[in-house]
Amino acid sequence: MDMGENVLRAARYPFLPEAREFVSKHIDLSLESLEKTGSEAVLKRAVERVKDALILKEVRVMPQHESNYVREMLSFPIAIILVSTIANEYIRRIYSLGESRGAYKRLLKESDEILLLIGEKLGVRGVMDSNNLIRIRIPTYLNLAYIFHEHRWKLVNRIVDKGYVWVNRMEYARLIQIEINNYVYEKTLETLPVTAVPQSFKEAAKTIVETWSRLEVARPGYAASEEKGGNPPCVSMILKRMMAGENTSHFERLVVATFMIAKGREIEEVVELFSKQPDYKYSITKYQVEHLAGLRGGGKKYSVPSCRTILANGLCHPDENCRGIKHPLSYGGKNARGQYGVS
Amino acid sequence: MPEANMEFLKREFFKYYYENLDQLVPPGPIKNREFGFFLDKSRGMLRHKCFINLDEFHNFVLNEVPLDIYVSAARYEDPSNRDMQEKKLISAELFFDIDAEPTVSESEESAWVCQNCGKYDLGTEDKCPVCNSPVERAEIVNENQLNEALKEVKKLVEVLRSDFGIDENHISVFFSGNRGYHVHVDQEEFINITAEGRREIVDYLLIQGFEEKRIMHLLKNRSFYSGDLKGIIGRIYRMILEAGGDKIPRNKRRILKQINEIIEEFKVKVDPVVTIDIHRLMRMPGSINSNSGMVKKRVRLQDLSSFNPLKDAVALGEGETVLRVKAVPRFNLGGKSFGPFKDEEVELPAYAAAYIICKGLGEYVRR
Ligand code: SF4
Ligand SMILES: [Zn+2]
Repeated sequence: MDMGENVLRAARYPFLPEAREFVSKHIDLSLESLEKTGSEAVLKRAVERVKDALILKEVRVMPQHESNYVREMLSFPIAIILVSTIANEYIRRIYSLGESRGAYKRLLKESDEILLLIGEKLGVRGVMDSNNLIRIRIPTYLNLAYIFHEHRWKLVNRIVDKGYVWVNRMEYARLIQIEINNYVYEKTLETLPVTAVPQSFKEAAKTIVETWSRLEVARPGYAASEEKGGNPPCVSMILKRMMAGENTSHFERLVVATFMIAKGREIEEVVELFSKQPDYKYSITKYQVEHLAGLRGGGKKYSVPSCRTILANGLCHPDENCRGIKHPLSYGGKNARGQYGVS
Repeated sequence: MPEANMEFLKREFFKYYYENLDQLVPPGPIKNREFGFFLDKSRGMLRHKCFINLDEFHNFVLNEVPLDIYVSAARYEDPSNRDMQEKKLISAELFFDIDAEPTVSESEESAWVCQNCGKYDLGTEDKCPVCNSPVERAEIVNENQLNEALKEVKKLVEVLRSDFGIDENHISVFFSGNRGYHVHVDQEEFINITAEGRREIVDYLLIQGFEEKRIMHLLKNRSFYSGDLKGIIGRIYRMILEAGGDKIPRNKRRILKQINEIIEEFKVKVDPVVTIDIHRLMRMPGSINSNSGMVKKRVRLQDLSSFNPLKDAVALGEGETVLRVKAVPRFNLGGKSFGPFKDEEVELPAYAAAYIICKGLGEYVRR
């Protein structure tokens, strides 16, 4: 592998350690000097990254970006700085989602060898077995895969042996995607090393916020209730629309029902929440809710979708209590778990 | 608890701790652990305690003679901080709790007290024969129940080893000192699993959320050599093939029923809440359990089959002790059988007297 390929890869996946190394070796990332080094072109590309995430939920990296690899690698830490300066929970989340989704698509096009190499560098070590499945350590798998609420990701439905779990190529790339998502999000939560942000950055940040507010008006749930029932905003906004008799999507109903079941509400109470839906039929709703609660069919309880999934479905409206959480059930933080126990 | 009972227990506990201090070693590093104590029955738990070294901890135990001692499975940067978030979690051992399931016992192994009118007797009454209110039962855990729990422990250890690949040296089994077993896992990668990941481990052990359709699919296609299939799926699949002999079962309902039976047999009955709760305090190894007066005792894996909890975990002395008892069911302890007793003054070895007192069934009279 020649140097050129390495650099291109670092540009394609700017969260790789080698990209970070390259950046820190070649450019002084303290904000004072950024104004000089962070040329207009870099700043422009950084803004583009965030806007891609906002508008397309995916940061695109084209061949023309990769070939301008210095700009490309630099644009990532600058984008992080922009997002942290804005300090808006939604923008943090959608940006992390966008970066990880873009990376996922690119990963799928890589050879097995490169895919595994990138996974390894990001701490998701995998080994290709003869059956074309990739095995990874169970702890690594568990810390990433719990985000997915589909049953097939449950460890109990996996081939497991001697500390390993087997996944296919696409699943492996999905796990790396989650790792990237987490990494980028954590980065945007870090406090900036310097207080004085250059004027050009402030202006760039402003254009991002403008784009965000334009999009925000068009999202369902916009300007919804401020009333707090201890429910996370995503749930309370869907609830509010339900109460108003608005028709809600299958996914929205899934979120509300699984959330309420997980909070220990009675089946009848949950069914009642759906009573204002235009297509409401008591017996059908009851059956569906019982199914989600694991009281019907094979007895599988459905888990509440993660913040990431809710975000990808356009239903995340985070407030200050959402900071750092990955799951709506963790909303409200400290006391949500209640008194902790002894054994 | 009457003063005399408390004094008796504290005296006996002190003697035990004084003589066995070297066995009372918390998992390390001690300065990263949170400790909790019950100093007497009426006060709540004293928690968020922290010690800088073993000496300091031992001095505390000898000075206070706690009724129960707990230590966090987690290591924290700041264990004495009262705010859970601010404690700053570093990692936490995996912790499993398997309790003996209460079974319907013979009348001699049970006693009851009516909280309403104060009547009491031996037997398995649910309602007070005098005033018809529900009664409080004093049940004694017997060997059979504990053996059932031990079977679950063996299943757990096997799954941890074969499926999770955990090294034997990193699995510690303890008798909890009363009605069950604790299993601790401290293998490096596993102590970093998040609470959500632990929930998945619990679901794996309890076989929750298993998709039967995978088995259906396998049976239809038979594409897999069954020996290649590892984990729960493989185990269930092989069982069904074995049960079917040459014939592959076809009736869907029958297969589903069969799968459910196999799940019942394979699942490891751990308490889900305990494993998921990363901040949980666990009873300290080597400490006395004030629900019985026995100790939380380590059982080496090779001794799992020969371990006798009701004998091997007896900790307190043999000194003759006189108690006044109301109704005490028959129980086995220290290789001897005691009771049943009713309305009498009895003379017992200290460990058995402590057992009765810990169960709230008697009053200390004299030595
Ligand atoms: S709980 Fe999660 S999904 Fe819901 S609003 Fe907050 S961050 Fe968004
Ligand atoms: Zn009564």
